[in-house]
Amino acid sequence: MTGIAGTTMQATPTTQSQSRIPTVDDLRVKLCFICREEEQYNSPEDPPRAWTHPCTCTLVAHEACLLQWIKAAQDDPTRALNALKCPQCGASYQLESDNPHPKILRLLDNANALLSIAGKVFVIGGLATVVVSFGFGVYLVLTSYGAHALRSMVGEEMYNILLTDEPSNWPWHAFINLPMIPVSLVLSRSAYFSSFPLLPLIISWPSSHPVTSAAARIGGTGWRLLSGPRDDLPYGPVFGWPPSPMMASLLFPLIGRIYREQYSKVMHAILGKKPSERGPVRDIVWDFGGEGPVPFRARIGLAVDPAERQRRQQQRREQREQQEQQEGQEGQEGQEQEHQPNAQAPAQDAEGQDQQGNAQTIRITNASIGRAIGGALFMPTIASFMGSVLYRLAKYSPTLRTILAIRPPLVGRRRIQLLGPWLDSQGFTRMSLLKKVGMSLHVALNLVCGGTRVWYESDPVWWRNSLGLGIFIVARDCIELLYLYLAKRDFETRRVKSRPFEGVDLSQLDLIHPPTSDASNGLVPAA
Amino acid sequence: MAVSTRRLQKELAEIKNQGTPVGIQLLSAENFQEWHLSLEVLGDTVFAGEVFCLRFRFDNQYPISSPAVQFVVDDKWKAPTHPHVYTNGHICASILGNEWSPVLSVISVCVTLQSMLASCKKKELPPGNDRYVRHAPDNPKKTRFEYDDDTV
Repeated sequence: MTGIAGTTMQATPTTQSQSRIPTVDDLRVKLCFICREEEQYNSPEDPPRAWTHPCTCTLVAHEACLLQWIKAAQDDPTRALNALKCPQCGASYQLESDNPHPKILRLLDNANALLSIAGKVFVIGGLATVVVSFGFGVYLVLTSYGAHALRSMVGEEMYNILLTDEPSNWPWHAFINLPMIPVSLVLSRSAYFSSFPLLPLIISWPSSHPVTSAAARIGGTGWRLLSGPRDDLPYGPVFGWPPSPMMASLLFPLIGRIYREQYSKVMHAILGKKPSERGPVRDIVWDFGGEGPVPFRARIGLAVDPAERQRRQQQRREQREQQEQQEGQEGQEGQEQEHQPNAQAPAQDAEGQDQQGNAQTIRITNASIGRAIGGALFMPTIASFMGSVLYRLAKYSPTLRTILAIRPPLVGRRRIQLLGPWLDSQGFTRMSLLKKVGMSLHVALNLVCGGTRVWYESDPVWWRNSLGLGIFIVARDCIELLYLYLAKRDFETRRVKSRPFEGVDLSQLDLIHPPTSDASNGLVPAA
Repeated sequence: MAVSTRRLQKELAEIKNQGTPVGIQLLSAENFQEWHLSLEVLGDTVFAGEVFCLRFRFDNQYPISSPAVQFVVDDKWKAPTHPHVYTNGHICASILGNEWSPVLSVISVCVTLQSMLASCKKKELPPGNDRYVRHAPDNPKKTRFEYDDDTV
C-alpha cells in the first residue's frame, strides 16, 4: 500500500499538499466514539477540544475522552492488557508525553519494579518462615529480631552492657519489649499508627540497668544500693547533648510530625493535589495474584451499603415530614413546606454521585505488603549503616563530631549507686517513710527521663544512628518525590499519537475535500 | 451535565430517529440511570415465541464504565434458560465485563445478547446456578465472572 502511495506522490510532485494522506483534521464531521459528540469542520467548538485518530480504522475521538478511557482501563488489571488497543481494529495506541528526563523516569520505573519483585520475594520468604515457625517460633523470631534491631541501634558496646547475647542475663522487660520492636516497626508504616518507627527502641532501654556480667566489667563492685562514696548521680541529666532519652522520645515524634506535614505540603505543591482530594475508601482489593494468573483473589467490599443509605435518607425524609406536620398544625405555612422534600431529593442524589466520584480503591498486592513490611524491618540495619557512615565522616569534621557527641568507649571503673548523692545508708534509714518514698520516686523519675549514668556516659551510637536514619528517610522521600513528579509529568502531558488515514478506504470517510472519482485506489485525494 | 447523561441523550435520540433493530424494543427510558428494553429472538431457535426484558443501569461514568445489564426476573418477566444466564437474570458475557468498550452502546449490547441467545442449541442452566444465585450481589457488575467459553 505504501509503495503505491509513494509512486503516486512521485507522479504528482507539484501537488504535494493534495497527495498528502488526510488526518483527523480533514474530516467534515468528527464523531467521538466515546462521548458521541459531533463537531462540524466549519463550526469548531469554543474552546476547541483536541481530536485524535489513534488507530488504523475510522474511529476518532476527543483526546481527553480517549485518555480517560485508557486510564480507566489501565487501572483495572483485568483490562489493562487491552487498554492501549482500539476496540474495533485492535491497533495499538501510541502514547507520547513531554518528559524532560525520560531516562530518569525509566530508571526509577525499573527500580520501582525491582523493589516490587524484591517485595514479592520477601513475602514468599516471610510467609514460609512464619508457617514453619508458627507459635513459639514466631515469638522467638520477633524477639531475636528485636535484639538484632537493638544491637544495630545502640551499637555493640551498649548492647553488651544492656542485653548481651545470653538471654539468661536479660532483664524481664526484654522479653516483652524485644518482640514488640518488629511489630511496632511494621505498624509505624501504616497510616493509622503514624509515629516515629524507632520509639520502642529508645523508650525503656536507657533506664534499664546493665546486666550483671557487664556491670561487673564496667562498674567494679557494681550496682549496690546505698554504698560507696557519693561521687555520682545514678542517672544522666535531662537536658544535655545528645538529648536525653525523654527529650528524644518527645522530640522525634514531634519532628516526625512536622516533617510529614511539611513533606505533604511540598508534595502537594509539586504534584498539584489538594490534601482533601482523597475520597473515602470504598473498596479494598486484596490482589495477591498480582499480575500473574494465580487465581487467588479476594475482594472485600467496604462500599457503603446502598440499602443502608436509602434507609437513612428515608428516615430523614420521614423526620422532615413529621416536622412539617407539626408545623402545619401550629401555623398556616404547611402548604409551602410541602414542596421541600421534592426540592431536596436531587441535591441528595448529587451528593451520592459526588461520593462515588471521589471514592478511592486501595489495591493491596503481595508486592506492596512486602515492600512495606520489609522496608520497616530494614530500618535498624539502615540506621546502623547510616550511623557508621556519619561516624566515619565525623573523623574529618569536628562540628559533626560535636553534633554526634561521640565519646570514647567506657573504660573507667566507677562506682555507680542508685541513691548515692544525698544520703548514705544511715541517712536513708533515719528518714521518714514519706521522705523515703519521695526520694525513691525522684530517682525513678530521673532514671526514666534522663536514662542511667552508663547510658549517658557511653558513646551515643543510638543518637548518630537516629540522625542517620532521619537523613536516610529525607533522602528517600526526595527520590520518591522526584519519581512521583516525573511520573505525573509523564502522565499529564501524554498524548495519543494521531495517525493519518493510511490504509483506510477513503471513500468511506466524509472528507471536507472528498477524493475525486478517478482515485480508484482510494489513496490520492484531489483538490 | 454529566458525560453519561449527554451520551445517553444521544443514544436515545438515535433510537427515536432510526428505530431499534428487529426484535428489540425500548420499554422505558424515563431517566438516565435505568432503561428497560425488550428482547425477542426471531426465527427458528430454542427461544422462539419468548420475550425477555433487559434492565440497563448506568452510573455517571458511562460509557467509560460499562452499564450493569441483566434480565428482569419478576411476576411478568423471566430470564431465558441459557448456559450463560443465571436464573436471577445475571448474564455472564465478556462484553459486559472486561471486554466492554465505549464504542459499544445500549443497542449494540442488545444485539450481541440477541445473537448469544439465537446461537443457543440447548436450554441449559449455567453450572453452579443455585450456588451463584444464593450469594449473588444485587449488581451483576460486582461479580467477577470467568469468561472461559467462547463458543456459545
